[in-house]
Amino acid sequence: MNKALRNPLVYILFVLPAFILFIAFFIYPILTAVNNSLTSWNGISKTMSYIGMDNYATAVQDKIFWKSARNNVYFILFSCLVQVPAIVFFSLLIANVRKLKNLYKTAVFLPSIMSTAVIGILWGFIYNPDFGLMNEFLGLFGIQPIYWLSDRNWAMIAILITNAWQWTGFYIVMVLAAILSIPRELDEAAAIDGASGIQRAFKITLPLIMPIISVVVMLSIAGAMKAADIVLVMTKGGPAGSTDVMATYMIRYAITSFKHGFGNAIAVLIFVFTMVITVLYQFLIVRRTERIEY
Amino acid sequence: MRTFKKTIPHIFLMGYLLVILYPFLFVLFSSVKTNNQEIASNPFGLPVSVTFNNYVNAWVNAKINTYFFNSLYIGVLAACISILLAAMLSFAITRMRYNRISKIVFQLILIGMLIPNNALLLPIYGMMSKLGVLDTHMALLLPYVANAIPFTVIILAAFMRSLPGEIEEAAVMDGLSSAGLFGKIIIPITIPAIVTVFIINFLGNWNEFLLANYFLSSDTLKTLPVGMVGFRDAYNTNYAQMSAGIVFSVLPVIVIYAVLQKKIIEGVTAGSVKG
Repeated sequence: MNKALRNPLVYILFVLPAFILFIAFFIYPILTAVNNSLTSWNGISKTMSYIGMDNYATAVQDKIFWKSARNNVYFILFSCLVQVPAIVFFSLLIANVRKLKNLYKTAVFLPSIMSTAVIGILWGFIYNPDFGLMNEFLGLFGIQPIYWLSDRNWAMIAILITNAWQWTGFYIVMVLAAILSIPRELDEAAAIDGASGIQRAFKITLPLIMPIISVVVMLSIAGAMKAADIVLVMTKGGPAGSTDVMATYMIRYAITSFKHGFGNAIAVLIFVFTMVITVLYQFLIVRRTERIEY
Repeated sequence: MRTFKKTIPHIFLMGYLLVILYPFLFVLFSSVKTNNQEIASNPFGLPVSVTFNNYVNAWVNAKINTYFFNSLYIGVLAACISILLAAMLSFAITRMRYNRISKIVFQLILIGMLIPNNALLLPIYGMMSKLGVLDTHMALLLPYVANAIPFTVIILAAFMRSLPGEIEEAAVMDGLSSAGLFGKIIIPITIPAIVTVFIINFLGNWNEFLLANYFLSSDTLKTLPVGMVGFRDAYNTNYAQMSAGIVFSVLPVIVIYAVLQKKIIEGVTAGSVKG
């Protein structure tokens, strides 16, 4: 028995291929990013010269970098202040309807499995100033056409709406699963005591789904820090850099202008910012919400 | 009053449904309209006459066919390889008797789920350039396979850990080696979990944009999302044909989703929560 399951050669042969790939594509790249961020390498030449923390100094002094970081913050704020309430609202609605529950669940989830690039193109149509759905729809209320993606006041909002359109349903399904796993008796007992539907939602369901909501916030933050393809496809960071996020800023410098060392410094900053926000969030918020037992 | 109260949630939900589904209908209608004028004059409605020229043109002239098969082959191949490698690793760390090393390996791989992967874009670009595989499909296959490993291991290891130990006792009594146990017993039992991770990995690869955009430059090698964006940038004005292109790209996903929605929803949400 143990002989067959304690065969070091087989163990090594089974573990190594995946493990080597993992190290090569997750651990090693972080180390090279840190190393390259200390150089003025252009991404092509054989030699690189170390310049210490210069790249980081340049980055933190660059206004455009902070502007792009601010756009990442907008992503986070939009998902926490607009998306999360909508997610909770719609999950509660879906959980409480008898008919069509599955249809709603299936349909709202659909955009999240689509390619972000294709959704970017699709929403490019919708935002078309001349005959896009958005302006046609707003026109019904007498609102003048808006140049969504080429107006710097509107471009970021337009991207945030598209992003919300793609991901809200995904989180609804997660929250919905949590709501449906709450034992029915709790809700019924409250109903017998005379609590109205809205009271039950706020006093019973909401406190019980706090843990999953905090997971949703966590995932939204991670997603906000990763956002890149939707910006690249919809506006390429324009007009005039008004929709740049950290990742597109990094790509612009590293791949398009051959400042590879500088780009790597941005990559490390993205990594550090993400970790800091994640850890802070875990300590400040998640620690406080106690574990729930029914 | 009671029935009225019951319909209010449905009104909100139907509104939401409309917002989600209408853009798809809009694309579908636009794709069978003759030209921009028809879309512009009647954006909400059904087309007057149905034409499939846009599909033919998009498929052949816009080379959607090339992009489509590139995406298909890269997506399937990468998903299969990551599943094979991840299944081997999961088997070794959950069923073989090396608990201490296995624990360390598993913890390390969990860390992989936490790493924001676009921070790794540049170093991986550098690695691919050193290997001399930039502008070949290898430059996508390798990172796609590697990228899927943490998620795949987490799902498959959880599944394999839950299998009862009697299975392998019986198999080993019958004289199977550990490799035979893996191939003849464990893999067949794990098929349900494998199907789930296959779909999730395939969809991830099928939709991936960043690496595909920067690691390939030859037009004939491009994948569908990148090809579509290039097509839009080149023919920015031909909305009807572009809509047909979008249909080609979205249709396979919708078909897979229609058949396997339960597994997809389960897999995607499980993966993200555990990460």
